[in-house]
Amino acid sequence: MDGKRLSVSGVIMGRVITVTSGKGGVGKTTTTANLGTALAMRGARVAVVDADIGLRNLDVVMGLENRIVYDLVDVVEGRARLRQALIKDKRLPELCLLPAAQTRDKDAVNAQQMIDLTQQLRAEFDYVLIDSPAGIEAGFRNAIAGADEVIIVTTPEVSAVRDADRIVGLIEAAEKGPASLIINRIKPRLVSRGEMLSVEDVLELLAISLLGIVPEDETIVIATNRGEAAVYDPNSLAGRAYINIAQRLAGEDVPVMAIPDQQGVLDRLLSLFGRRRT
Amino acid sequence: MSFFNGLFGRKRDSSAELAKQRLLTVLIDDRYKLTPEMMAQLKADLAEVLQRYLPAIDAEQIEVTLSRGEAHDLLKADVPLRRAAEPPSKR
Repeated sequence: MDGKRLSVSGVIMGRVITVTSGKGGVGKTTTTANLGTALAMRGARVAVVDADIGLRNLDVVMGLENRIVYDLVDVVEGRARLRQALIKDKRLPELCLLPAAQTRDKDAVNAQQMIDLTQQLRAEFDYVLIDSPAGIEAGFRNAIAGADEVIIVTTPEVSAVRDADRIVGLIEAAEKGPASLIINRIKPRLVSRGEMLSVEDVLELLAISLLGIVPEDETIVIATNRGEAAVYDPNSLAGRAYINIAQRLAGEDVPVMAIPDQQGVLDRLLSLFGRRRT
Repeated sequence: MSFFNGLFGRKRDSSAELAKQRLLTVLIDDRYKLTPEMMAQLKADLAEVLQRYLPAIDAEQIEVTLSRGEAHDLLKADVPLRRAAEPPSKR
């Protein structure tokens, strides 16, 4: 089974992976939901944790908002046991959500409590994916406190890349590095016209390793409206991209998925003459 | 002209290239927080040390830049030397 590791005491332990970004709105929650679902579809036991205390969202993205009884803060403060708070996914019994508290703020938990929580979770699951809040304050620090690995999500835009670089530095400083990168919402036609940063540009700027790329895709909007992960939809390009990323995360030796650029005849002709394509 | 630029590589003035160049500058600034005053002092100190070994250094002409490299970032100093009219005589 992929994901498992041996702890010092010889007990099999799961990997704790935090998904973060710096800038808000670049797709952390969508990424966490889809990677968690894709890993569970592979047969792994997965817990996705919403660490955005006060701005709960992972539950609605996964369509589990009606099942919440207890939340992360209830567990940390001892009002509920972990097992009571974990919500099973509708389709995949091996996929569980630990929702964030909605009526509390980021100060409701501290880093040590998050470390203790992830230790409990990694004993039960192969993967523990933590959806970090945006920003560089306490919420972000709590979200990475118990992590073995950190994934940074960015989009190919100046503000998102700048914030991602800040996060790269903070993760290195917290000795949680090196982080790996997911570049989300790539518009291939815009890139080939030279009007959007390419994957190579972003990698050169941030100088961290590439975990995967996800194209801009309307099916994400539809999947989110329905509360279903895009990885279930075989026609979703973004869903396929997340499956590719899950494979790479699980250690499979597969290349980063190429994004078909769906460009017109003229673009194709121009690209034949050596115009830069990505 | 722009037609050929479009054919043979990315236009120099494409918005993506502009974004990249702007980010290169801003990321270096964010990381090292070297103010213009500190940069001026750095150049002056550098000139002072180097002039002990190379009197031909023109302190005014030193250019120090920070750039992003593959494995690490780079501080680069371009230090022009005044060409002497004739080689210095040995004493």
